[in-house]
Amino acid sequence: MMQPLPPTPSPRPFGMAHSPPSAMPRKEDVTLLRILVVPGEGTGAAGLLQTLRQWADDGRLEVETVPDLPRAVRQLAASGWDVVLAVLGDHPDDDLTWWVDTLRAATGSPRLIAAAQAPSMGLVLRAEQSGVLEVLSLPLRRDDLMQALGRLRAVATESAIPLPEVEPDVVGQYALVGQSPAMLDVYKQLARVAGSTATVLVEGESGTGKEVVARAIHLHGPKAAGAFVAVNCAAIPENLLESELFGHEKGAFTGAVTRKIGRFEQATRGTLFLDEIADMSLALQAKILRAVQEREIERVGGTETIPVDVRLIAATNRDLKEAIKQARFREDLYYRLAVFTIRLPKLADRGDDLLLLTAYFVRLFGERYKKNMRAISDRALELLRGHAWVGNVRELRNVIERGVIVANDDTLRVEHLPDELRGEAVALADRPSGGQLTLAQVEARHIAKVLAQTGGQIGAAAEILGIHRNTLTRKMKEYGL
Amino acid sequence: MTGPPPVRVEKALGLLPELETLDPLRALLVSIARPDAQSLWSSSGPYLTLGKRGVQPEELRRRLPQVFHRVVGYLQALYREYVDALECQQAADPAGVVAALLRGGRLDERLGRFTHARVWYAHALAVAETLQDRRPEVESLRALGYVCLSLAQYGDGAKAFQRSLALAEAEFDQAGATAACEGLADVALAQGQWSGAYAWYSRGLRLAEAAGDAVRAGRLECQLGVVARRQGDLAAAGEFLRRARERLEPAGSADEMARVLNEQGRLDAKLGRHASASAAYREGLAWAQRNAANPGTELSIRLNLAELDLDAGRLVEAEAELRRAEQVAIGGDLMLRLARVYVLMGRLRGVQEDETGFVFFEQALELAKALDRSVATQAQVSFEYGLFRNRLGQQDEARAYLEQARELYDSLGEAAQRERADAELRRLTA
Repeated sequence: MMQPLPPTPSPRPFGMAHSPPSAMPRKEDVTLLRILVVPGEGTGAAGLLQTLRQWADDGRLEVETVPDLPRAVRQLAASGWDVVLAVLGDHPDDDLTWWVDTLRAATGSPRLIAAAQAPSMGLVLRAEQSGVLEVLSLPLRRDDLMQALGRLRAVATESAIPLPEVEPDVVGQYALVGQSPAMLDVYKQLARVAGSTATVLVEGESGTGKEVVARAIHLHGPKAAGAFVAVNCAAIPENLLESELFGHEKGAFTGAVTRKIGRFEQATRGTLFLDEIADMSLALQAKILRAVQEREIERVGGTETIPVDVRLIAATNRDLKEAIKQARFREDLYYRLAVFTIRLPKLADRGDDLLLLTAYFVRLFGERYKKNMRAISDRALELLRGHAWVGNVRELRNVIERGVIVANDDTLRVEHLPDELRGEAVALADRPSGGQLTLAQVEARHIAKVLAQTGGQIGAAAEILGIHRNTLTRKMKEYGL
Repeated sequence: MTGPPPVRVEKALGLLPELETLDPLRALLVSIARPDAQSLWSSSGPYLTLGKRGVQPEELRRRLPQVFHRVVGYLQALYREYVDALECQQAADPAGVVAALLRGGRLDERLGRFTHARVWYAHALAVAETLQDRRPEVESLRALGYVCLSLAQYGDGAKAFQRSLALAEAEFDQAGATAACEGLADVALAQGQWSGAYAWYSRGLRLAEAAGDAVRAGRLECQLGVVARRQGDLAAAGEFLRRARERLEPAGSADEMARVLNEQGRLDAKLGRHASASAAYREGLAWAQRNAANPGTELSIRLNLAELDLDAGRLVEAEAELRRAEQVAIGGDLMLRLARVYVLMGRLRGVQEDETGFVFFEQALELAKALDRSVATQAQVSFEYGLFRNRLGQQDEARAYLEQARELYDSLGEAAQRERADAELRRLTA
């Protein structure tokens, strides 16, 4: 059911954002790049343009220039560009941030090549993190520019892979998707606990789907007819959390403009889901413990004791046992909550679930944004597989949603992915075995580039890099340069 | 090895007494606060506000010399202005005395210490009134008018500008008269008196044109565009803005161009031309980039861009833009505008029918009360909070917030806004 079909080749030219995926462009179309050159304020545009036009004599580059940022924005809005070559000014960091932000919103999502006088290591690292194609030193060298453009061309050849069919377990507005052994184990635990009214503690990193699991327990449990009330303890200001949970009487404090029924009461005969429980203050933990033990609460500013009949599910992305050791979490509350514990796996530990989740989200958002998405490119999938996913499924969902919004045919491609991932695409083209570049690798690449620019002169390179020549010599030995 | 977790800003600010002497420390604390990396992808990530950011006491301690440097620099400059005034007094140069006192006021005004600035300007005016040359008096009155405007003391502001205009005309001081007309128009605009604002801006424009002052004329055309848009005459607004651009672009006036494009974006948005509005805002940001010294204009454009996305249902883009605006506001110490950022974030959650969105309104109210103490901002937040509650079907709470907004608008004498609050209350009752 979930096996992908064999890939269908479907290369896509640059600057042809609206072409259908079935179009088979000629080779010269595929390799033509349109470059918009934006010299820094006050620097000569004519010289730079002339140099680039000379380099573009093989006809594979189309170069135009604008004198300043406002006109660049007008050009970017008017037509699609593949690359913007921007010369950064006196505040290169600010300029870089501005360009990254501006190009994110530009038609056709052009890639950025930034040029600066002696770019610092920090600038290069920030550029790499932001998905900038390349940071070049001024004066420009033909080989450096052509290498960067070559990498861009290399990632341009993409083949479409049809999305596999997915049958999710629907949980209200949400869904459980996955068939990895780690998730099958979660499903088994869920089935074991759902039928009871036992309190459950769901543990897992951010974005692993703790709330979806909590909703599934509720829907398959004896209190399914009641409400599922979720409270995010970390989102609510500490001074308001108590009244949010227990409610308040009118005038109990400044801002208590009416009587408020708290979430405990709202969840009566249903389920109360306390998300990010570790973020609660010790004082409030004591009140929660009392409510759990005695099954009754008092509204803030009230005197009446109100019985509550709720199933409690708590979740955390932190190590509660460690928090107990640090006296940040009450041990007695922990044991009250962890009657049954479910630990959710990281996305990185879920193997091929990544493809299933991708397919599910592409269809979900395709439907929402009225786009008939049916495939993902091999390059895009490769990138998704190589990404670290610190935000787990939530991060994947965000990436796919943005991708679907900007996609304009039936295939999700590298160009639809965020800059951060696209930056990884260019890096991938550079290295044989995928995976993230380490800081040392980035540093080594930059040092090698500067040394090439200075013709191997260590003193000049050290000056550009802003480090002592002894430090540079040591680093060169370390990196085998 | 990891150190102790950062202290949340809500807790850090709770420990900081609300004393004016501590304002620079408060500003530093806010500017160095960062979101906890772990919370960025957590389920509370979308609700992250300033209060939930973290601050490391060690970093604050390390950065204290920056604040000391700034505080000492400020005091030195202020004290020197007084000594300059004293020397001018000794040298029988009363115009120099006025100029030095006005410089002292401007130092305070730039730091947002409007009540202090007002005191300086009043001192300057008292000296200027004794002079035969009336130009220092014109300038003092104009400075006083603008600071009153910043303090929402519209009556006093209008009086100061009126006197300034009368004196400038009597002295044939065309630049002074133009500036006074602009000030009177700004007061009228702030109070929603569109026809009065139109008349004053038009008069100022005629004077600026006669004096050949292209930048001021461009600015006044832009303001006339604002008034025309507010009055619903969108064609006239477009024409004013076109002329403003023609005047300002050759002058290369970056901040003024950014403002004109911001207004152009608003006009296009009102005309339903979303793509044009977006393009105008983007170009405005490019001009604002040239004048990085004034993050206020960039923030204003980003907020309008976010509102445009919000109105068009592009919620992902709206949220991304609001997060960028939040960063600009925090980095630029623009707390009043930060409240506006959170109001829009709250509105966005309201559109998504997400009840937890109330945290943004609570944060905005907190900012309005604690950091800015601005009644106008409190009124705006209460109004939007009421709409948010109503959208979620919480009518009692919606009514309470709208009534609160109405009272606050009443106290400010903002009739148009009060009417909006009233209309929403009537709709709620119906």
